[in-house]
Amino acid sequence: MISLIVLGGAAALALLGPLLARFMGRNAGYPIAAGLAALAVLANTSAGRIVDGDVLTASYAWMPSLGISFGLRMDGLSLLFVTIVLGVGALVLAYCPSYLDDHYPVATVYGLLTGFAAAMIGLVTANDLVLLYVFWELTTVLSFLLINTAGPKAAAPAGRALIVTAMGGFALLGAVVMIGVAAGTTDLGVITADPALVLSSPLAVPAAALLILAAATKSAQLPFTFWLPGAMVAMTPISAYLHAATMVKAGIYLLMRFSPVYVPTTAWSTVLVPLGLLTAVVGAVLALREHDLKAILAHSTVSQLGLITAAIGVGTSYALSAAVLHTFAHALFKATLFMLVGIIDKEAGSRDVRELGGLRQVMPVTATLTGIAALSMAGIPPLIGFVSKETLFEGFLEADFAPGAGPVAATAAVIASVLTFAYSARIVYGAFFGTLSQPDLYEPRYAFLAPAAVAALLGVLLGPLVSVLNPLTDRATTDLDPGAEPVTFELWPGITPALFLSLVTVAAGYALFHWRDRVDALLGRLWVPDGAAVFDRIRARVLDLGALVGRPDTDPAPAAVLVRPVLLLPVLAVAAGVLLPAVPAYPGPVVRGLDWVVLGLVLAVVLGAALTRSPVAALATTGFAGLTTALWLLLAGAPDVALTLLLVEILTTVVAVLVLRGRGVRLHRPTRWRRIPAAVTALAAGLSLGAGTLALTGRREPSAVGNYLLDTAEPAVGGTNVVNTILVDFRGMDTFGEAVVVGAAALGLLVLIRRTEAGADARPRVARDGPADTVVMRVGSLVLAPLMGALSLFLLWRGHDEPGGGFIASLVAGVAVLFLRLAHRGDSWPLRLRPEPLVGAGLLLSLLTGLAVMPLGLPFLTPVYLPGEVLLSSFVFDLGIFSMVVGLMVAAVDRLGGGTRAGSSLGPVHHRDVREDQADRHGARPEVGR
Amino acid sequence: MTAALVVTVLVSGGVYLILQRELLRVVLGFILLGHGVNVVIISAGGMANREPALLGQQDRAAMADPLPQAFVLTAIVIAFAITVYLLSLLKAGDADDDGRRAEPDGSGDGDGGPDTAGDTGTADGSAGANGGDR
Repeated sequence: MISLIVLGGAAALALLGPLLARFMGRNAGYPIAAGLAALAVLANTSAGRIVDGDVLTASYAWMPSLGISFGLRMDGLSLLFVTIVLGVGALVLAYCPSYLDDHYPVATVYGLLTGFAAAMIGLVTANDLVLLYVFWELTTVLSFLLINTAGPKAAAPAGRALIVTAMGGFALLGAVVMIGVAAGTTDLGVITADPALVLSSPLAVPAAALLILAAATKSAQLPFTFWLPGAMVAMTPISAYLHAATMVKAGIYLLMRFSPVYVPTTAWSTVLVPLGLLTAVVGAVLALREHDLKAILAHSTVSQLGLITAAIGVGTSYALSAAVLHTFAHALFKATLFMLVGIIDKEAGSRDVRELGGLRQVMPVTATLTGIAALSMAGIPPLIGFVSKETLFEGFLEADFAPGAGPVAATAAVIASVLTFAYSARIVYGAFFGTLSQPDLYEPRYAFLAPAAVAALLGVLLGPLVSVLNPLTDRATTDLDPGAEPVTFELWPGITPALFLSLVTVAAGYALFHWRDRVDALLGRLWVPDGAAVFDRIRARVLDLGALVGRPDTDPAPAAVLVRPVLLLPVLAVAAGVLLPAVPAYPGPVVRGLDWVVLGLVLAVVLGAALTRSPVAALATTGFAGLTTALWLLLAGAPDVALTLLLVEILTTVVAVLVLRGRGVRLHRPTRWRRIPAAVTALAAGLSLGAGTLALTGRREPSAVGNYLLDTAEPAVGGTNVVNTILVDFRGMDTFGEAVVVGAAALGLLVLIRRTEAGADARPRVARDGPADTVVMRVGSLVLAPLMGALSLFLLWRGHDEPGGGFIASLVAGVAVLFLRLAHRGDSWPLRLRPEPLVGAGLLLSLLTGLAVMPLGLPFLTPVYLPGEVLLSSFVFDLGIFSMVVGLMVAAVDRLGGGTRAGSSLGPVHHRDVREDQADRHGARPEVGR
Repeated sequence: MTAALVVTVLVSGGVYLILQRELLRVVLGFILLGHGVNVVIISAGGMANREPALLGQQDRAAMADPLPQAFVLTAIVIAFAITVYLLSLLKAGDADDDGRRAEPDGSGDGDGGPDTAGDTGTADGSAGANGGDR
């Protein structure tokens, strides 16, 4: 419950923040800071119970069918992170009013910062993996937005940060799914309570790899370190909060959260310890190369996170509690340092140690605070940083995942710490010692210094009083490893190996500082790969690859795209020829004498259609191909289908003629380079499909479903025309889908061709064509059109029992519409038919007929009978389909029927092959008709 | 056998046409392909029994399978809708060919409208020049 209140409170502040900012301007930071501090106190009221071992959980149904709940938990680890998030959040927001100028988008920054705090709280209190993932991604997005508030210069680094961390987000999603599958639950409490749930699954290792990948991106471990220094273009409070104290700790939190599961495995240590220590050393070296205070701190953050990662990997009680304590200590001193660097930047106008100098003379308080925090970072007693670093050393000495791992790990940690000492000294010395270059500076007002001062003083106090933290860190460590021994932190634990390592660190670090000129010269010669540049190159290559993959599909020539599935046909045919066993025999004679006649007709018209260069002839022969196919269907015993095809052919041809009308153009004769490959491909495809038809179709007795339909059609639905009963009764849903396609085509057409184009063309046509040649058709239409309308309605009505039905009826109506249009070329319409209402009403009618029975608990499209066995629903359903098809016809006539501009060519659809184009135009020059 | 030959002829003609440049030929190729595939589907119901599935009027044992027929009927209407749509694309694309759009939208790739207009001009010009050379 407490976690929900804290999370809700932070979310409420996030919504309230921008509002407050509208009224109070940047000073809204103070009440928001107070609110966050209050939430931190509130969260810690439960500290007593949590330290005693209670895990406070709250769960709300979210996706019950998937077993995913909106579950929150508050245990030691969560409380520690919540305290860090809210505590540092309060300090940073109290710092903001002094830092922000009026030209910053104050309301946006406050809203995003507080929203980020809420997301972070959600992340560290989530008790469900899916929820954890959601909050994880939220922090990524908010980080991106916050970096971007710095203006255009931030776009590239913000993009890199987003891509890297979002990549980690994908990895986390993969891990969440794997762990969820392996454990059979996404409940974090259940998963961490019983490591065997995950570890017994083969998915355990890939899930761990993905978890580490996610953590490495978020916490800027190698090789993903580069995004974090880049993110420093953000304004300093954002850097202090997200990119030092909290968000980058999300990866650490993830590793800690899954420690109970994976710490017992050697592989976990073997990956994490080298990864963390390498990052620690590399980050520290890079920090020492920098002269920009903020860049030093950014690389330092990378380095310190590396130490924590490695300590988690070691996995002993000491190492884990050191990781927990150092997470806290680092948040404290790094946030302080960032805030102070922001102050220096603001006051002195620079963050470069080569330009700054001697500031302690004019800003003694700032200098002192910076010194305290830097000493804590360097690990000097009596500060909290000393305690946590000693504990880290102690922990690394315990590393035992490989022979000799302890001394090696401790040595690496000492090297990183030596470098840390050196760059800490550089920060303090570079800014505050040496000759004063800007004597006219003065101390900032106390409100600006106060948040940093609070954090710095906490660092001083918590050194000697570190035992105050002990109950909570012990509890958190137990959350990391249920078997962990309590570790008592002491400022002076006596003469230990760690103390010796600390002495070495200070001595060697001072030596590096003392000979800093030589060190600088040495480091300056060091070649360091620019991670951001490498990332940008990889990204560019990935984009190129995407373009390459997509290129074949962006070819403007349809043939390039269309040929691919066609080429698959011969491949399939060959494969089938090799693999298939002998085919069974036909059940009876399958060839009739008339077949050959129809085949001859089909061959003749198809050859004509393929070879002709007149558009009208092409249309006519294609239409004939349709008619001969209809003949074939008639021979095959499908009169309804043949009738439909006949009507459709007529309509198609008329619509095509409408489109082509008024063009005195011819089709181009394809060049040899197109003709021959096309003919070869065409024959290969045709023969393949023909062979497939020969081998694979019709070699069996009538199908079971066919027999079922023949036997049940009459008793079940009372129709004798079985094909029609299938369309209307057995497969009404199919028919509905088909009608929707028709409606969609009509709407697409209406969108594609605007009314004005057709309308504007209609008038001049009168003059050109003259009405005289249409007199016969006009008179005829007066008689025929009403008759056809009546016929179509009759066919619609009787559709269920006799040949007819919605489709055939609407096609007849379509013919009537076309007839009228042709008869009344150029005139205004005799009928006030509009396509949009026809299509829309038809769709609604069919849909509502199907849906109307559903409130009664009946399935979609259940038939409804009127008294006297009259099928009401099927008629209304058919009427809807009728309306949609007529709508398509009216749309075609309305939009395509308008003339085209004179002289437009039939439009070769691509022109890349200029040579071919020229050749065509040579050949066809007199015919182009321009 | 004859069904397979009808399919071969229709599909060969259809594929040949869809591999041509003119959108009109592509549209007609689609129509032929549709016919070819419909013949395949009808053939899948068997070509041995060829009586229409009209109960009471025909010999039940000789009736053709009605299900593929219903499929093909649906397919024909859908193919018709798509053909009309393709024809409208032909008409709409035609407007682009003439550069009728007032302004090239600058993107160039994507719809190819302005590109096509420009290329047409170039092709015409160079064709004229070449013609003069000869």
